[in-house]
Amino acid sequence: MSGSALLEIRGLSAGLQGRRSITQVVSGVNLDVHGGEILGVVGESGCGKSTLAAAIMRLLVLPQVLQSGTMTMRLEDGKTVELMELPDNELRHLRWRHLSYIPQGSMNSLNPVLRVERQMTDTLIQHGLSKKEALDRSIAALELVNLDTKVLQSYPHELSGGMRQRVIIASAVSMRPALIVADELTTALDVVTQRQILQELAAIRDELGATIILITHDMGVVAQIADRVAVMYAGKIAELGTVNDIFEDPQHPYARGLIGSIPRESGQRVEGLQGEAPSPWNYPTGCRFHPRCPEVFERCNQHTPTLQQRAMDRWVACHLYDAETEFDG
Amino acid sequence: MGDLLLVENLLQIFGGRERTYAVDNVSFSMPDEPTIISLVGESGSGKSTIARIILGLLRPTAGRVLYDGTDILTQDRGWNRKFRSEVQAVFQDPYSVYNPVYKAERVLKLVIRKFGLAKNKSEARALMHEALRAVDLRPEEVLGRHPHQLSGGQRQRLMLARVYLIRPKLIIADEPVSMIDAGMRASFLNILQDFRDAQGISTLFITHDLSTAMYLGGEIIVLYQGRIMERGQTRRVMNDPLHPYAQLLISSIPTPDPRKRWKEELSSNRLQEFDPNANPGRERCLFAERCPQVMDRCWDARPILRNPDDEDLHDRGREVACYLYQ
Ligand SMILES: Nc1ncnc2c1ncn2[C@@H]1O[C@H](COP(=O)(O)OP(=O)(O)OP(=O)(O)O)[C@@H](O)[C@H]1O
Ligand SMILES: Nc1ncnc2c1ncn2[C@@H]1O[C@H](COP(=O)(O)OP(=O)(O)O)[C@@H](O)[C@H]1O
Ligand code: SF4
Ligand code: SF4
Ligand SMILES: [Mg+2]
Ligand SMILES: [Mg+2]
Repeated sequence: MSGSALLEIRGLSAGLQGRRSITQVVSGVNLDVHGGEILGVVGESGCGKSTLAAAIMRLLVLPQVLQSGTMTMRLEDGKTVELMELPDNELRHLRWRHLSYIPQGSMNSLNPVLRVERQMTDTLIQHGLSKKEALDRSIAALELVNLDTKVLQSYPHELSGGMRQRVIIASAVSMRPALIVADELTTALDVVTQRQILQELAAIRDELGATIILITHDMGVVAQIADRVAVMYAGKIAELGTVNDIFEDPQHPYARGLIGSIPRESGQRVEGLQGEAPSPWNYPTGCRFHPRCPEVFERCNQHTPTLQQRAMDRWVACHLYDAETEFDG
Repeated sequence: MGDLLLVENLLQIFGGRERTYAVDNVSFSMPDEPTIISLVGESGSGKSTIARIILGLLRPTAGRVLYDGTDILTQDRGWNRKFRSEVQAVFQDPYSVYNPVYKAERVLKLVIRKFGLAKNKSEARALMHEALRAVDLRPEEVLGRHPHQLSGGQRQRLMLARVYLIRPKLIIADEPVSMIDAGMRASFLNILQDFRDAQGISTLFITHDLSTAMYLGGEIIVLYQGRIMERGQTRRVMNDPLHPYAQLLISSIPTPDPRKRWKEELSSNRLQEFDPNANPGRERCLFAERCPQVMDRCWDARPILRNPDDEDLHDRGREVACYLYQ
């Protein structure tokens, strides 16, 4: 892959620690995240999106465990760091300065007894900013999400869901991070608020030059704001490509099923995907999609397909394309 | 013929001093012929409250619900039994409907026994298979399993298999697909359409997701803060919404097509939204503070829901509560 990626993920695996063994949830993910892009990660619920997000941040909590892989991040000064090898204290510093994570459901995690001002400035002050600097940064961040500074004096319960989510986003971007990982950012919100927040997020990318990994199960959301899309299935990346390619010409049978099950016009009937997504305790052998795949053939249930480059910005993990010559560009 | 369901001037006020108008003078009807009507609105707009009132789970502050011409609060026990079999509810996550101790198919067996649908075991078995296949479930995927061993989508379709056995006249479905993945959603909605076309079963479909309502077709009712803002045929309303709120809502759907992205930034009236002291009351258009076309009269009295004055805008059943059309 290209040497210019902001984040280069190789062979990333993570799982759930059981009494005797680890059940793998995310299996050998390879992914380059380009600087300044919005990368959408989509897939059915339970396919490992949130686990991947937390793994990238090295914020897995037991029973979730990191198993293997490398994650190389390029910093502003051109130096690179290996996130997997970083000691905890350096990681904390990096996470704070360069990485920012908005976990699923975080708008409900604000402290109910603290005013927004305290919640936003406390962490900034802990990390060595003066009170004045912390407040200035918080105010600037609120502006990015179109919130009036009056909210600083409010308690969380006085704010609507959309406003709480904006406070969370403002906190997350107050240190102007290079990489933001947002998990199901707008899932709980109505469409109008969702649209406003997604547009604000795109504006933050433009203004701060940040890179955003947006995890969602909503194909509409990625179609609206992502530059590239990674389609996950059962802990692996099935297909990766530009948003136009993925929507107009999906190549992996799972991606085709997902795109094909989107209703487009009133009255037009579509068929959904057949069957159920497997849970990590019974990921099938070979290609994990084979029990549901309409194009399954002999080799699929034994041999695991790897993510192969098929065009300039297009990667697919499926045996249908094995015979074709590899992309030479 | 009369209406299957008639909802008249429903009012539901919750709370003491901080009164919440969950449902504020809502009226609509479902005809006797099989239909699907979608009730859409954002969180807190009163959708579930309306469903609970129709199901008789909540006695409204005012207004009434007639089913087949009879007030659902009637004391007639025979009628109540008929109502409970003819009107079936399907909720968001049906997990609570199942008893985790028993196998999931018990929900089917109980219905077969209760309504005496089969003469013997093998007939009951055949009937269960038929019902499962009607909802796209392979019997071997489901039979013999406990509820927690099924996915949300499977549990939800099993509820439809139960409905298939009961053959009700009306399904009240409150957010039945919001926990189901996109891949499976279409299959669930297809079943509701098949129920309408092949079994003559109507559905009142409650959702905050407009793309689901669009897919279902039929009619749509758009709620905002407990009031109906617009209603009409789904296709017409989605393609050409008249009420400014419906316009905002529909233009905000994230269309799953990267070539049809939102064009303009949506201006957000943050300041207006955040003014806890302003209390303009409810005798006005409730959308006034967010409406780009607001006029003086919008603050003075509530616009009633009715046909637009402009004859050109008349299509079957289209009604709007907005002064722009009155
Ligand atoms: N038992 C109750 N006591 C007090 N307030 C209630 C009660 N039930 C509902 N409400 C309030 O009534 C309003 C409408 O609630 P309802 O549950 O009908 O909304 P909804 O449209 O179904 O929303 P959602 O999309 O979140 O399910 C809300 O403001 C809610 O907080
Ligand atoms: N802390 C945990 N304890 C037990 N199981 C978990 C935990 N976190 C994730 N899982 C399981 O791992 C799988 C992937 O979960 P997740 O990464 O949350 O998927 P997604 O975000 O795509 O819905 C699911 O089967 C989920 O139930
Ligand atoms: S590898 Fe085989 S089973 Fe897997 S997606 Fe491709 S064709 Fe289908
Ligand atoms: S009545 Fe007035 S405020 Fe309400 S939607 Fe119509 S124009 Fe806007
Ligand atoms: Mg998740
Ligand atoms: Mg509800």
